[in-house]
Amino acid sequence: MTDALRLPPDLLDDQLPRVLGEALTGLYTGEPRLPARVGGRTAGLAALHAWTGEGYAGRNFLSGNVSRLSMYLRHGMLGLREVAAHARAVMRGRERDEFLRQLTWAEFYRLVLRQEGARVLGNLEDPKYPARWTDTLPDDVREARTGLPCADAWVTHLVRDGWLHNHERLWFAAYLVHWRGVDWRSGYALFREHLLDGDIANNALSWQWVASTFSNKPYFMNQENIDRYSGGRWCRTCRAECPFRASYGELETQLFGTRP
Amino acid sequence: MTAAQARRVVWIHGDSLSVTDPALSACPDAPALFVFDRPFLQAVPVAFPRLAFMYQGVRDLAAHRPGLTEIRVGAVPDELAAFAAAHHAAELHVTRNFTPDFARIVDGLRAARPDLRIIIHEPERLTSFDGPLRRFFGFWKKVEREVLHGEPAPDFPRRGHR
Repeated sequence: MTDALRLPPDLLDDQLPRVLGEALTGLYTGEPRLPARVGGRTAGLAALHAWTGEGYAGRNFLSGNVSRLSMYLRHGMLGLREVAAHARAVMRGRERDEFLRQLTWAEFYRLVLRQEGARVLGNLEDPKYPARWTDTLPDDVREARTGLPCADAWVTHLVRDGWLHNHERLWFAAYLVHWRGVDWRSGYALFREHLLDGDIANNALSWQWVASTFSNKPYFMNQENIDRYSGGRWCRTCRAECPFRASYGELETQLFGTRP
Repeated sequence: MTAAQARRVVWIHGDSLSVTDPALSACPDAPALFVFDRPFLQAVPVAFPRLAFMYQGVRDLAAHRPGLTEIRVGAVPDELAAFAAAHHAAELHVTRNFTPDFARIVDGLRAARPDLRIIIHEPERLTSFDGPLRRFFGFWKKVEREVLHGEPAPDFPRRGHR
């Protein structure tokens, strides 16, 4: 016999934080509260069928129409094939092709995990610049009090919604790894803690893609890029000393050293 | 006892939270178990909403399948072994995922219950590509046609010439 706790499989949402919270005492972080999106195939199918893909060409803008289906795909609540079939049926032209290409990253990362196994949790390649990373996630980053409105918002969104727009993920990862000099695994752990779509493959390999341990060069951005794709959300009123305000060439030298 | 007659149970894990999961589809009437992994969650910080999202996934599939669906909190291999014993199961069905945890749990279960047949179903794939991988761009060039158009293109029938 085991000392297992059994949970009824039919708790209503308003019972869930209390009953599941008690059953999982000591096994989670933060407050017991419902996720920002409802889990399950029924909810996933409703989200899939409601999504037309219209405006997907603007997907890189935070205001762009992205599918937000990743958390359903991550848990098998939706399958890659049915999402692809839906896109082929309702989308057209370059937007359709681009969505299907993005969807294929999920398959790619799963196959890399199959190929590499636990090795994906360490650097798959050497970083492409002389990196000196510390292991610890700084408290001001975790607590969203870096003093940079954008960076603080990325952490706040992550914790509140369990989801971030892809561009916010990239900006945050680049900020943490390149500007703050923190090993990507600390960022991976923070995302694993909060992202509803967080899995080993997508999470570790995307961080490694930014860090340049699974890509040919590090990903980074500048203030102009953040301003443009956020629609000026933070920059217009920002009074902080902006570490991103420089040209790409200047930042490249500052962050990665002068190119030979 | 033949495989067709064997009593079966299904292990539902965090990558298989749908009635369309291959293992669940193969055994719609069999008792199924989802386990919140206590040792894992004691070691790894996970925020509550993620766990609630998974619970909602199990709840949804429990409401949409004829077989019993149970949820426990404990060590996964131990709970699977106890669940299989309680249902006098000779087979446990599960859909593979590629995480190191999956292999560890299957090994733990094999050690605890060498007599239990573990039937591993392959997960759904978007492409049929099976070669080595390094960069997305190279992968995309190989699977682009298949992804954009659906099924792999069969050889085109040649019209008019025989």
